[in-house]
Amino acid sequence: MSYLLLLPELLLISLALVIVLLGLMISDRSKNLLGYLSAGGLLASIVFILAIKGEGSFFYDAFVVDPLSQIFKLIFAVVSLLAVIASVTYFKGSRNQDEYYALLLLATVGMMVVASANDLVALFVGFELASMATYVLAGFEKRNPASLEAALKYFVIGSLSSALMLFGMSLVYGITGYTSIPGIIEFFTTNPQAATGAINIVAMLFLVAGFAFKMALVPFHMWAPDTYEGSPTVVSALLAAGSKKMGFVAAFKVLVLALVAMRADIQLAFAVLAVVTMTYGNIVAISQRSIKRMLAYSSIAQAGYISLAFVAITPEMSQMAIGGGILLALGHALMKGGAFIAVAVVGYMVLSDNRNVKNTDDLEHFAGLGKRAPITAFAMLVFLLALAGIPPSAGFIGKFVIFYSITVDAVIQASGWMLFIVIVAILNSALSIYYYARVIRYMYVLPPAGERIKEPTPYVVAIVLALIGTIGIGVYPEPFIQMAMDAAKVLGV
Amino acid sequence: MFSDYAAAIVLLPVLAFVLTLFLGKKLYSGGAPLPIAAIAGSFIISLGIFFEIYPGGVVQQSWPWFANLNIGILIDPLAVVMLLMVSFVSLLIHIYAVGYMAHDPAKPRYFAETSLFTAAMLAVVLSDNILQFFIAWEIVGVCSFLLIGFWYHKPSAAAAAKKAFLVTRVGDVLFLAGIVLLYVNMSELIAGRALTPESGNFILQFKTMFEAIPYIDSGQLTLITLLFFGGAIGKSGQFPLHGWLPDAMEGPTTVSALIHAATMVTAGVYLVARTFPMFVATPDSLVHGIPDSLLVVAIVGGFTALFAATMGLVMNDIKRVLAYSTVSQLGYMMLALGTAGAVIGAKAVGISMFHLISHAFFKALLFLCAGSVIHAVGTNDIREMGGLFGKMKITAITMLIAALALAGIGIPFINIGTAGFFSKDMIIEGAFEYGEITGGWGWVFYGFAILAALLTSIYIFRLWFMTFTGKPRSERRAHESPNIMTLPLMILAVFALFFGFSQSGFYPYLETNFELMGVEIAGHEGEALHPSAIIIMLPVIVGVLGIVISYMIYHRRMLDMSKIVSSENPLYKLLINRYYEPRLSADIIGVKLTHDVAAQSGEFVDRKIIDGLVIDNIISSTLFQVGEVIRKLQTGVVQNYAAITLLGVGLLILLLKIGGM
Repeated sequence: MSYLLLLPELLLISLALVIVLLGLMISDRSKNLLGYLSAGGLLASIVFILAIKGEGSFFYDAFVVDPLSQIFKLIFAVVSLLAVIASVTYFKGSRNQDEYYALLLLATVGMMVVASANDLVALFVGFELASMATYVLAGFEKRNPASLEAALKYFVIGSLSSALMLFGMSLVYGITGYTSIPGIIEFFTTNPQAATGAINIVAMLFLVAGFAFKMALVPFHMWAPDTYEGSPTVVSALLAAGSKKMGFVAAFKVLVLALVAMRADIQLAFAVLAVVTMTYGNIVAISQRSIKRMLAYSSIAQAGYISLAFVAITPEMSQMAIGGGILLALGHALMKGGAFIAVAVVGYMVLSDNRNVKNTDDLEHFAGLGKRAPITAFAMLVFLLALAGIPPSAGFIGKFVIFYSITVDAVIQASGWMLFIVIVAILNSALSIYYYARVIRYMYVLPPAGERIKEPTPYVVAIVLALIGTIGIGVYPEPFIQMAMDAAKVLGV
Repeated sequence: MFSDYAAAIVLLPVLAFVLTLFLGKKLYSGGAPLPIAAIAGSFIISLGIFFEIYPGGVVQQSWPWFANLNIGILIDPLAVVMLLMVSFVSLLIHIYAVGYMAHDPAKPRYFAETSLFTAAMLAVVLSDNILQFFIAWEIVGVCSFLLIGFWYHKPSAAAAAKKAFLVTRVGDVLFLAGIVLLYVNMSELIAGRALTPESGNFILQFKTMFEAIPYIDSGQLTLITLLFFGGAIGKSGQFPLHGWLPDAMEGPTTVSALIHAATMVTAGVYLVARTFPMFVATPDSLVHGIPDSLLVVAIVGGFTALFAATMGLVMNDIKRVLAYSTVSQLGYMMLALGTAGAVIGAKAVGISMFHLISHAFFKALLFLCAGSVIHAVGTNDIREMGGLFGKMKITAITMLIAALALAGIGIPFINIGTAGFFSKDMIIEGAFEYGEITGGWGWVFYGFAILAALLTSIYIFRLWFMTFTGKPRSERRAHESPNIMTLPLMILAVFALFFGFSQSGFYPYLETNFELMGVEIAGHEGEALHPSAIIIMLPVIVGVLGIVISYMIYHRRMLDMSKIVSSENPLYKLLINRYYEPRLSADIIGVKLTHDVAAQSGEFVDRKIIDGLVIDNIISSTLFQVGEVIRKLQTGVVQNYAAITLLGVGLLILLLKIGGM
């Protein structure tokens, strides 16, 4: 097996260690360099992910490289790259930049390990690596009580969920005697009678609960708004756009495979979860004045749309729906990451007006943004429209593929409730326009509260990258659809 | 080698658009050198491609876009001549605009928009599928809207932009409906295995469309082509959607020259030429031997040619005269496709395109000359001009050349003449042959064409004599325009004079166009007709007659026009009020029908019933209340969160139990 395939992860791990060492040696003032170094490393990692073709399995089949793992690694690396570029300005002058970047890179590695995991233990290790690192990142502004509160809540609920997930895994091991995913499937196919036990449902349930925590599905979402709001904005971008997808890739891997084997009927359960999640997210988002909170709820709603991928039943449509889910995950990573960074720009702008403002992400501060920070405002406009699913954008393509596959499936199955779910999802999209449009109105209709500012270059670079991705996928979706479908094929439902 | 860079023809002006928009303010003359360089690049590549593929070659490139659609480039004879014309004329007009717009503070916006326009127009031309064609066509429309309303602080300009956008929209909707209908038909054919495109071919590509022609139901085909033609009517200002084009003269004159004379308005003709095999294939249910859709094209085109020319006679705004002239000449191009198409098949495309291109040269020239005059005297009204010949020699002479070309002056039999002489004569001859073959009512088109030719000559020389001869009728001291403006005039004048001589190469080259795509278009069977000498000479005779009439009335003042030009004369009133079209479209359709009836009743339903009763009372307030209740759940106490998480686990058990049963 070619170890070249592991290059993206190996590079980031060594870079994280190098950064910690470098941090001890260089002066506080030149620590900004570390940001550029991390960005370079992530960029190289992205290039490796895209350039090195091939599939392989490593470490006694615990770690596989296939189209599914690669597209999610791409998502994680891109989001981290956006966050790192934006962090260059956000954490400018901070003494602890070495720890920050090292943790961020390690979190990325953790997510990548989850994407490649083919064994429950490897999966758990990746999950915990990413979680531990992000717990610290969420509380990185240690003088800011909100940040600390965010980190603590995230940690407490995260630990609870990890415990649930680990419990689920131990049950699975107890039933089958395997921790490797193919092993579990094989066990159930050779022992069909074992597949019907009630204990399977409990095991599955704990796994679902563990993943749903990361995915922020209702009712496992409670931590998300508080954490996104309190964390440093760039970390919120990483959490909402990146680490959330870790839950999805884990769910895709374990649930789809294992549930096919166990023949449990999860479609209805996920349909209910999805509908409740999207409706809840959208309704609560309406009454938010804090944009970070609004984005948090919007990302809960988006998680609802993505989980529709689990709803389709016929193999062909199920594969397409999962492909659509992956596409939407990719699109969401770009638009949500971009939107959070735009909020960071507004925060920067507000603080440069007045250092003592508390709620820098209040809707009020977006008034006249089109005049004050035109690039940011325009990009935010595009991100919001994309989140609402307006074509041509990444948000539209993903939603379109998911809704389309479920509709076709509903017709094939002659299933009323599935059709109903699609209708609810579309109505939800319409509902979401309300709170997105409100922000747009503030940005472009209301008069500005101050002078035009100079948008810091790193922010602009990150935002423009996300913008290009968001529109690019919308305008030229074919290669991305292909990637997502290839990835979905790996699951071989 | 050039064909590898075909995409750059469009991408260069796009790049220039972006750069000019953002950096224009800091550069010389609002960033004008950027679009000029980019469009020069497009022209050079187009020229290179022309030499590579001439004769008998095509450039085809295609990339999958999504699903069964593609993005692609098709440069065949039809496209390459258009590419050359559009990039060349656009280049000259951009150079001219450096002088014309010199004093305008919003130059960067102007050059950015014209650059985007040029890119979109070039994209229309080299599209290899109808959907991409439509997208570029819409961008062209948006640019036209932006540029007509360039001086948006003038209410008349803003209104004209709005009118242009709305009226062409009527056509665009029809066009889109045609595309949808075509797509549905073709998908069914492909699903039913009647049509099996080769791998690598996509559904809405022109070549696949032409392959599908024999299989599409003939009624559907007529409907599709007529819907396409609806789009062409809107874009090319044909009756009854012609009203926006004269109003569009509110934009800068360079915009009128570029968009509303040489390029965008010809896109409609280009659309019909592009999809010509479909028009030819429509059934002949109305008149034996004449495809229905071509008949409609001929009727609309022929009528518009005459109808617009009558209004051109009485307009006093120099640009409006030219605008009506454009509408009328576009009518000629449609007429050529409709009549000649029915009798000589694919050759008609060559005839129409030849007039399109020679028209582009002399009409752009007329507009630029008009711009030069307006620049000098500061008014659009020809009644306030006069006696400018001595002061603006270059403008006057180049405009005279353009006017001669428009009037179609030349010497028959020995084939010497202006561009318009060759191109218009062919159209009139085509209409004559059509009359010969169909007989009876078929002569109507020939009558329209000859009468319109007479009127054309009268109105254009009325304009020229009133502007350049006689005594000055205003105080203003006129002067010749700067070199950067007169140079493009002279170059265009050369083309207006000599382009006609390229006809011997032009027709055979374009005739091969559809053969290259594997489409056979049969002409009418029977002997080639040789019209008598008088028929060949008649267009020139009426042209000269028109000049003489104008000379007598407007130069020698041998007739007292005051009796005719008065509000007493009902005919004059009808013409000067443009057949009451503005009143009909703006007041009756726009205000009364759309606003008062449709919009008001829609507003009533929307505001009072939907907003008031349904949204406010039921949906909105419920949602807000629910939102408030849920917000209270988010207590911020982490113990509660943990409890809810565990509750969720319980709920999941329930759900899985239900699902598992």
